[in-house]
Amino acid sequence: MKKFAALLLAVVMTLSCAVAASAEDAKTSMNVCIASEPDTLDPALNSAVDGATMIAHLFTGLSTWAQDENGALEIIPACATELPAAVINEDGTATYTYTLVDGLKWSDGQDLTAKDFEYAWKRASSTELGADYGYMFEVVKGYPDELAVEATDDKTLVVTLNNDVSYWNELLAFPSFLPVREDVVANEAWATDPATYVSNGAYSMTKWEHNSVITLTKNDNYFLADTIKMDEINFYLSDDENNMLANYQNGDWVMIDSVPNAEIDALKAQYPDEFVVGSQMGTYYVSWNVNANILPEGCELTGEEAEKAEEEIRFAIGLLFDRNYIVTEIGKAGQQPASSFVALGMTDADGKTQFYENAGPSDEYAGYWNVSEDAYEANWESAIETLKKYYTFDEATGMFTNFPTIEYLYNTNDGHKLIGEYLQSVVSGVGITMNLVNQEWNTFLNTRKNGDYTVARNGWLADYNDPISFLDMWVSASGNNDSQFGKGEHADLKMFNMDLTPYGVDVKVENGTWAETYDAAITAVKTCGDKDARYAMMHAAEDLLMSTGAITPLYYYTDIYMVKSNVKGFFANPLGYKYFMYCTVE
Amino acid sequence: MSSKMLFYVLKRVLLALLTIWIVITVTFFVMHAVPGGPFVGEKAISKEAQAALEAKYGLDKPLMTQYVTYLRDIVTRFDFGPSLKQRGRQVVAIIADGMKTSARLGVIAALIATVTGIVLGAVAAIRRNTVLDKVIMVITTAFVSMPSFIMGTLLLIIFSVHLGLLPANGAAQGGLILPVITLSLYPMSYITRLTRSSMLDVLGQDYIRTARAKGVSRAKIIFGHAMKNSLIPVITYVGPMLAYIVTGSMVVEQIFAVPGIGRQFISSIINRDYTMIMGTTIILASLIVIMNLVSDILYKIVDPRIEFE
Repeated sequence: MKKFAALLLAVVMTLSCAVAASAEDAKTSMNVCIASEPDTLDPALNSAVDGATMIAHLFTGLSTWAQDENGALEIIPACATELPAAVINEDGTATYTYTLVDGLKWSDGQDLTAKDFEYAWKRASSTELGADYGYMFEVVKGYPDELAVEATDDKTLVVTLNNDVSYWNELLAFPSFLPVREDVVANEAWATDPATYVSNGAYSMTKWEHNSVITLTKNDNYFLADTIKMDEINFYLSDDENNMLANYQNGDWVMIDSVPNAEIDALKAQYPDEFVVGSQMGTYYVSWNVNANILPEGCELTGEEAEKAEEEIRFAIGLLFDRNYIVTEIGKAGQQPASSFVALGMTDADGKTQFYENAGPSDEYAGYWNVSEDAYEANWESAIETLKKYYTFDEATGMFTNFPTIEYLYNTNDGHKLIGEYLQSVVSGVGITMNLVNQEWNTFLNTRKNGDYTVARNGWLADYNDPISFLDMWVSASGNNDSQFGKGEHADLKMFNMDLTPYGVDVKVENGTWAETYDAAITAVKTCGDKDARYAMMHAAEDLLMSTGAITPLYYYTDIYMVKSNVKGFFANPLGYKYFMYCTVE
Repeated sequence: MSSKMLFYVLKRVLLALLTIWIVITVTFFVMHAVPGGPFVGEKAISKEAQAALEAKYGLDKPLMTQYVTYLRDIVTRFDFGPSLKQRGRQVVAIIADGMKTSARLGVIAALIATVTGIVLGAVAAIRRNTVLDKVIMVITTAFVSMPSFIMGTLLLIIFSVHLGLLPANGAAQGGLILPVITLSLYPMSYITRLTRSSMLDVLGQDYIRTARAKGVSRAKIIFGHAMKNSLIPVITYVGPMLAYIVTGSMVVEQIFAVPGIGRQFISSIINRDYTMIMGTTIILASLIVIMNLVSDILYKIVDPRIEFE
């Protein structure tokens, strides 16, 4: 019996030691869900926000996003010792020279050198790779296949841009600019398997059960490993919002990146501290095809005159919509009514004022029309007056009688449908028949890009804080030019004006084509080294764009997500990337 | 196996191959006829980059050439090609990953459905017109008429959100319990009803009456004579059911975030991931064809009177 008691005591003591030890070793870990299986976690190939979030935990570039002590977001040097200003060369190009910090290593322990950056950038921008975001290197001299970037030694990276751009430091934190190692990516399947996934950031990938979960574990080879608080992050992969919510509500997941639309009101009330409306640099808008005819039958206007009339008509119809109603009754997620195409969150030349606040013709309101609730009636009346110039108006019924039937195209989705139905109800109130047509996503993209539509739902999210990311998509040759500016018949119209001489650029065109005016302005912006002049020209470009009436902004996007109130140290950047590495769960 | 049966099986296998070939051909050409493509995204890539990608994956070649190459690769090397969207991954590997989960889910659900269905059906038939029979019928009627997305959501809300007993996520420990239940309720109810009516039919037959008149025990009548014959319609149902459960659990996979093949199938179509569409279609079609074949052969084994044509 004594023997037994001794044995028992020994067992208990061993066990308690083990328990104490395991308590000390306890790793911090969190379960989150931002989206379903990412298409790729190769930093160069990724084009999705969820992929970018995971990549931001796996890789670190020359610069990175961080939160200062006041909670404000900033871009700080990471792999580079500092982010120096450019040296402007005689030909106007700008050269940046970076020194890498000491002791940079890959997650497999190998040294990381400037050569890895050079290789990664050349790969990411190459035509051969065909990355969605290859164009992010457009600002670099020699884009796409002769990129002017060189590792002059193991620690020094020299890159030359066509001209200095203010958002360059931000680009350095963008996934496309993250380093990858040549021998690693030589294996085309490298980014699909933890065994071959070599990264240089705060975490390394330790598990990827496809379509199920990706586990990131703190990377001990990371040069800033001391600053990383969370030891392990499990990214669960699901895109079913109801399922995400169920997992959040039963406590399995502490952060989910989207919620069912129908639940927004209830969740706001039920979880006031956990339901977050974050900012996002993007605009939800309606795009018109400039080559589609919307004049009444029998109208004798042709060519430039017809297009002038259509510009007025489209702009007027845009004024009929009550954006405050859309955001409060349909969007319900804190969106801001829009009065410009360049979104809220984009700053002007001073880096502080909102670009949209300085946009538009009037000092009394921001943007191209007064979007306040009080102004809605006046907007409506002016719109009706404009439309009366071109269409027959029946005073008795308050209806236009000869507006041709048009179609509103949207991709199959409940939210887009609700907005479509609202727009439809508004225009039908003045006698305009607008039929709703929905298409499945990929078909929709194709139809819209090819210009086989009259009016379509549209949206744009910026990739960096510079208005050019909203404006360069409308040049004639752009693949995102859904409105077909400068294409088809529109290419021949000589009716646009652009005067850039006040900004030191030799462009002064009256009654020119879209290519001679808008395209020229965008080219001037991209090659301009003077900040103030550059922003002024971007305002001029947006003025021309908005005067076509072909872009009807409805609201500026927000980013809604839920995060448990006991999670501290979490932040999101304006591109929608979420950062979990500094989190603690109390 | 008789030579007649062998010949029949051979004939059916050839027919199955023909069916699959037709499925491949139709899917291939319809898929390419649908607007859009794998490299179309919200943000457009340059024409040069698009061309480089198309060349890389052979999409720049004439459609007929692509078709012939595709068939050749499947037949000679069982090579379904790389996924166009999930870059760096092979279609075979993606499907194998998804099938592992879907098959596990499906086989367990099918087993539960078949065993419980037969037992409940037999009990209901033997205890015909009793309270037990009526209860079983009411419940199974409810389950047959309730679509799986409602049943799944209901179970999710009750057991996962409110009671917190089971995870809402198919990847977690015990995460397949709710999906298995959701998936098995419909076929279980169907089999119950099938077994009941067929059992009632058999119990009314002359040979059962004869056996009873000769004093054979009740248990022996049911298990020795009635059961086997009343299972024939169930068997015809079970084969295709297995195929549908394994392949057609898309809704359930979505509700419970189960990493199965059903979700892959849908997303491949949305993404125009051509090779994935083909791969999943071929696998799903083959499964259905094979299961039908198996159930036809079982049919013969259970009932030797059935002649193969």
